[in-house]
Parts: sequence; C-alpha cells; structure tokens
Amino acid sequence: MTDATFPQCRIVPLRMLKPETSERLLTAIAAIPGIRRIMVNGPGLPATVPYGPARGSPNPNTNRQSIRIGDTDLALRVQVANVVIEMENASVVDALRELCDGFFTAFPYQLQTGRFMKNAPSLVDYTKYGPGVNPDLIGLADPRSRDGPVLLRERDC
Amino acid sequence: MAYTPQYGPGTSVVAANRRKQMNPGQELERMRSITEEDVVLVLGHRAPGSAYPSAHPPLAEQQEPECPMRKLVAPTEGAKAGDRVRYIQFADSMFNAPSQPYQRTYTECYRFRGIDPGTLSGRQIVECRERDLEKYSKELIETEMFEPARVSLRGATVHGHSLRLAEDGMMFDMLQRCVLGEDGVVRYVKDQIGVPLDRPVEVGKPLDEEWLKAHSTIFHSLVGTAYRDDEEYVEYVKRIHSLRTKYGFIPKEE
Repeated sequence: MTDATFPQCRIVPLRMLKPETSERLLTAIAAIPGIRRIMVNGPGLPATVPYGPARGSPNPNTNRQSIRIGDTDLALRVQVANVVIEMENASVVDALRELCDGFFTAFPYQLQTGRFMKNAPSLVDYTKYGPGVNPDLIGLADPRSRDGPVLLRERDC
Repeated sequence: MAYTPQYGPGTSVVAANRRKQMNPGQELERMRSITEEDVVLVLGHRAPGSAYPSAHPPLAEQQEPECPMRKLVAPTEGAKAGDRVRYIQFADSMFNAPSQPYQRTYTECYRFRGIDPGTLSGRQIVECRERDLEKYSKELIETEMFEPARVSLRGATVHGHSLRLAEDGMMFDMLQRCVLGEDGVVRYVKDQIGVPLDRPVEVGKPLDEEWLKAHSTIFHSLVGTAYRDDEEYVEYVKRIHSLRTKYGFIPKEE
C-alpha cells in the first residue's frame, strides 16, 4: 500500500493544454527535485472512433502525440487537463508554485493540495496487476490500457 | 387586442438575446457565409450533388386520404418531395456559446416548420426532411446562433460542452472534427459523425470574448452574466417552480 504520508498536489490550468505546452510543463516539473510520481489527467483521445456510426474508423487528432520528457518518450492518450503530483515532502509545493507562476502567463491556474491518487489497490488494480502489486503503480495507469506507467530516471530530466 | 408573445422574462443581456433568437420577427445577424455544398459535406447524409433519396413517393403522385388537416397544413418542400428524415446536432460550450440546447429548441420551433427537435443537457438534435434540413442548417450555421470555436456540429461523440476550453479557445472534441488553422480560420476536417472529409470546410474565424459575452444565451457567473443578477428571471422561475410544486399536491381552495 502506498505510504499515505507523501504529500500530493494538483495543477489545474484554466485551459486544457496542447501537447507542446504539456511537454514543456512536464519537463520543468520533472526537473524539480523531490517529485515521486506524476499523473496526467484529461479527457481521452482514442486512436479509433469508439462509438457512433463511424465506430472503428481511425481518429486522427493533433492532440494525441508523443511528447519527450528528458530522454523518455510519453505517448499522450489524453488532452492534458490536470497534472497530479506526489512529492517527497511538502516543501516541493513552493517550488511547483514558483514554476507555475512563471509558466502560466496566458491564462490562470490553480494549485490544489490534498489526496488525488489512490492509496489502496481497487478491484481494477487487482485484475490488472494481480496480488502483491508494487504500491507505486497503483492508480497511475489507465486500467483498460495494456501499457504501464512511464519511468523517468533522474539523470534524464 | 391581439396577443403579443413575450418569449421570455428577464432584464439582462442574456434574456434579451434569448428573446431575439426566439422571435421570428427579428432577423438574426448573418455572421458568415457557407455554401450549400459545404453544408451537405458537413452533415454527411448524402454526397454533394446527388439526388435526394426518398422515403415515399412525392405527395403529388400518391393518393392522399380525405383529411381536413392535410387541407389546412401545407407540406414543407421536403415532405412534398418525400425526402428521408435526417438530422443535425449541435453541442454548445457553457463558456458563453451564443446558443444552448433548450434555446435552440425554442428558437427552431418558433422559426422553422416540420421539425422534431430533441433536447439534452449538452447537445441538441433536430430532425426533419432532408432538403428542409439543409436549408435550416445553413441558417443555423450562418447566423449569430453559431460560433466556430464554442459551437460544434456533432452527430455522435459530443462530449465537451461542459469541459474547460483548449488553449486555443476551441471546445474539446475527442474526434477533432474542426481544427483552428494558423490563419485563425476554423475548418471542419470531418463530417458531424467523424468521417474524414475529402476537403476541409471553412466556417470562419472564432469571435472575440466581447462579442460572445454580448451575444450569449447562457448565464454563467464566472465568464458571463450571472443568473442571480437577473432578478426578473429568478422571480419568474421561482413562480413557475412554486406553482408546479403546489399543483403536485393538488391544493384545494377553502
């Protein structure tokens, strides 16, 4: 089970971000020391039309791109609406706020603190990972996706 | 004295815009021009230039039963020709879109004939005969009821009306049917159900925030006119709510 004492925060910009902006933001966040986990949230952008008369046909979308954070590629499957961050300690929030103040100049943002990630495996985690799951994986990946979370090594950032 | 409809209560600009859209005596401002071929492409019901498929023979060729209603009500062009029933569906962003589902339905019922609107929280569909639909769609897209960034034609997969806008001001669309170009013009690259088009269809440039705020028919306390600021509207809705609640208990006068 995830250690519930790690503080978490959520960055909520007033506008949903383009892949290029998300890349710049996530690169800057990943470079801050003391970040444990980052989760990107937003409405989904499926590769094929999921329902309706055009179901199954390709869904080209300029917002579904691969972005590069340090040396690691991350295939975006959502339009970035929120960024949830777990930190080593609460002092990292100040660094994040300083970063966001400089980053979001065209439109405002909110930085909320609280608990935003699951801290215990749910049924979908059990079906995806089975028993004895690594607690750091819980709540990070879309349970329907076959891909796992993206790991950023410290020297990549 | 002849009855003059009031169309709706309220003293705010939102209420005035609602009344303007509903009142068929008021001409809606024409904001853009879109060709009939473009309308047909975006609707995606038939290929441009092809004949209208029919659901029944033209009325002139079939034996009509003796019916006083049929003598009273003149058929629309589409009904006369026996066209199929087809639809157009709109999603309107809550961020000051110039129209919204209930408003669209009221407006269409006042302005158009032979329609069957369906009203939902985030989308509004209107069904009618195909050639009538194309005429009505052109009017709905060309006038001030449409805005390229905040209003979108979505036959399916409509999610987005209540979400935050994208960085470029466009309403979220999972299927990205319309794209804001570098020249600032919005182009539909897919038809309303998400099938890619052979060529993009231009619907003009997004309008500025000032215009949107002045032409919106949605109350929004953060980005536009707050509902509670329109006392007359609140009073009217309270009255209707009170009357229908009391009637639910079937009150008896002592």
